[in-house]
Amino acid sequence: MQLSINGEKKIIDQDQLTVTQLLAIQQVKMPEMVTVEYNGDIIDRATFDTTSLKDGDEIEFLYFMGGGSRHEI
Amino acid sequence: MKFETKAIHGNCEPDPVTGATTYPIYQSASFEYDSAQEHSDVFFGRKFGHQYSRVTNPTVTAFESRINLITNGLGTICTASGMAAVSTALMALTGTGDHIITARTLFGGTHYLFRHVFENFGVEFSIVNSTDVSAYEAAIKPNTKAIFLETIGNPKLDVPNISAISKVAKAHNIPIVVDATTVTPYLLDAKDHGITLLVMSTTKYLCGSGTTVGGSITDLGNYDWRNAKSDKIKELSKKQGEMAFLGRARRQIQSNTGSIMAPMNAFIASLGLDTLSLRMEKHCQNALELAQFFQNHPKVTAVAYPGLISHPDHEVAKSQFGNRFGGLITIRVGSKANAYHVIDHTKLARTLVNIGDTKTLVAHPQSTIYRDFSIEEAGEVGAHEDAIRISVGLEHIDDLKADFDAALQGITL
Repeated sequence: MQLSINGEKKIIDQDQLTVTQLLAIQQVKMPEMVTVEYNGDIIDRATFDTTSLKDGDEIEFLYFMGGGSRHEI
Repeated sequence: MKFETKAIHGNCEPDPVTGATTYPIYQSASFEYDSAQEHSDVFFGRKFGHQYSRVTNPTVTAFESRINLITNGLGTICTASGMAAVSTALMALTGTGDHIITARTLFGGTHYLFRHVFENFGVEFSIVNSTDVSAYEAAIKPNTKAIFLETIGNPKLDVPNISAISKVAKAHNIPIVVDATTVTPYLLDAKDHGITLLVMSTTKYLCGSGTTVGGSITDLGNYDWRNAKSDKIKELSKKQGEMAFLGRARRQIQSNTGSIMAPMNAFIASLGLDTLSLRMEKHCQNALELAQFFQNHPKVTAVAYPGLISHPDHEVAKSQFGNRFGGLITIRVGSKANAYHVIDHTKLARTLVNIGDTKTLVAHPQSTIYRDFSIEEAGEVGAHEDAIRISVGLEHIDDLKADFDAALQGITL
C-alpha cells in the first residue's frame, strides 16, 4: 500500500498493517514517545495495535521528547 | 515484574555502542546531523533525536525513562531541581488570572515560589488545610487550574488522603499535582491514587547520597488533556493528543526557561534507583524505631511521625504507603534554645537542610527554611520554635538512639 508518512509518499510492501507494525517497519526510534496523527486526527496510543492502515492514508509522527516507558518488563 | 526488579533492570540496557552496563554520560551541548532536512525534522518533532542539551540529552532521557517505568507514567521530564519540577509543572498549567489551590503544609521553597514568583505574574492562590478534603472542594473557583499538595507535609508531617482529594479534582476536571519526594514511587502508587502529575526532588531519596540536585515531573496519564482547563494545553492536544502536557512542559516551558537537568546529574542520580527500595525500607524502619524511642523520652515533648498509632493521619498513611511511613520525624523539645542545643550536640546527625541522605540530618525549620514566615504561620506548618526536623539515615539504630539521647540529656524542660 501507499502511505503518506510525514508528508512523504512511501510504498509499504504489506496488505495489512497496524500503526504499531508501521512504527516497527519504519524503525521509528523511541515509539513510546511518539504521537501519531492518522488522517488528520490524533489517535491514542492504546489504539496503535488495533488501528488498521489502508492505501492512501496519511500518517504524521510527532515527538515531545521526554522519557517514556521503552518497554514493559 | 515487581518494583525492585524494574528499578534495577528497567529501561537501562547496556550502551549499544560500547556495551557499558551503566548508561554513559553524553556531555555534549549539541548533536550533529547529516543533513539540513534531518536536522529540521528533529526540530519539528517529526523525527526522534537530540538537538541541543537545553532541550534534551541522551543521558537525561535515559534517567527519565527509568523514572517513568517505576511510576507507570505516560512520560517523564527531568529538571534542574525539585523546585524546577514544581515551577515547570505549574507554569505549564497556569497563566495570569488563574487560580491554584495549595495545601498549607508545603516545603518552604514551594511557599516562596507561590508568594514571590507566581503571585507576581498574576496567579492567585488559596491555601487550605492539607488534610481537609472538603476544604479543597470549597476553595474551587471557575479559574482554578491546579490543586497542589505534598504526600507528607513537611515539617508538620501530616498526610492528606490523596485518593479522596483526587476524586474532588477529577469531579471538577482539575489537574492534581502531588510532590512525592518524601515517599518516592516505592511507597506510593501515584497512578492508582488518581494523581495527574507526580513531581519529585530527585536530590533526596531517589539519588540517596546527598550529592546531586535534580527533579522530575511525570504525567501519569490520568487526565484527558483534550478537555484541559488550560487553553494552551487544550490547543496543543489537537497536535499532540495525550502528550499535550508533556509537549507544553518540555518544548514551551522548560526549553525556554532553561531549567534542565545536567547529564552528569542524571547519571549520578540514576545510580540511586538501583538501591532505592532497599534504602527506603531501611529509612522507614529506622524512622519508626527512632520515633518510638522519642515518644518515650522524657526530654521530648512531642513527636510527629505518621507511623505512630497516635498520629492523627496514621490510618491514611498506613493504607496509602503500604504500612511504611517514610524517613522524616519532627520532635519538639520545649524551647528554641533546647532545639539549638540538641542540634549542636548530636555527633552523627549533620546540621543541614536536606532530606533523604544516607546520613541522618537535623535542621531547625523555623529559623532556616521558614525564616520569612511569621511565628504563627510557621507554627501552622509545624515549624514551631522548639521543633527539630530529622531526616533519618541508614546508620545502625542503636547508634542513632545513643546520639540523640546524649544530646537530649543536656536540655532542661
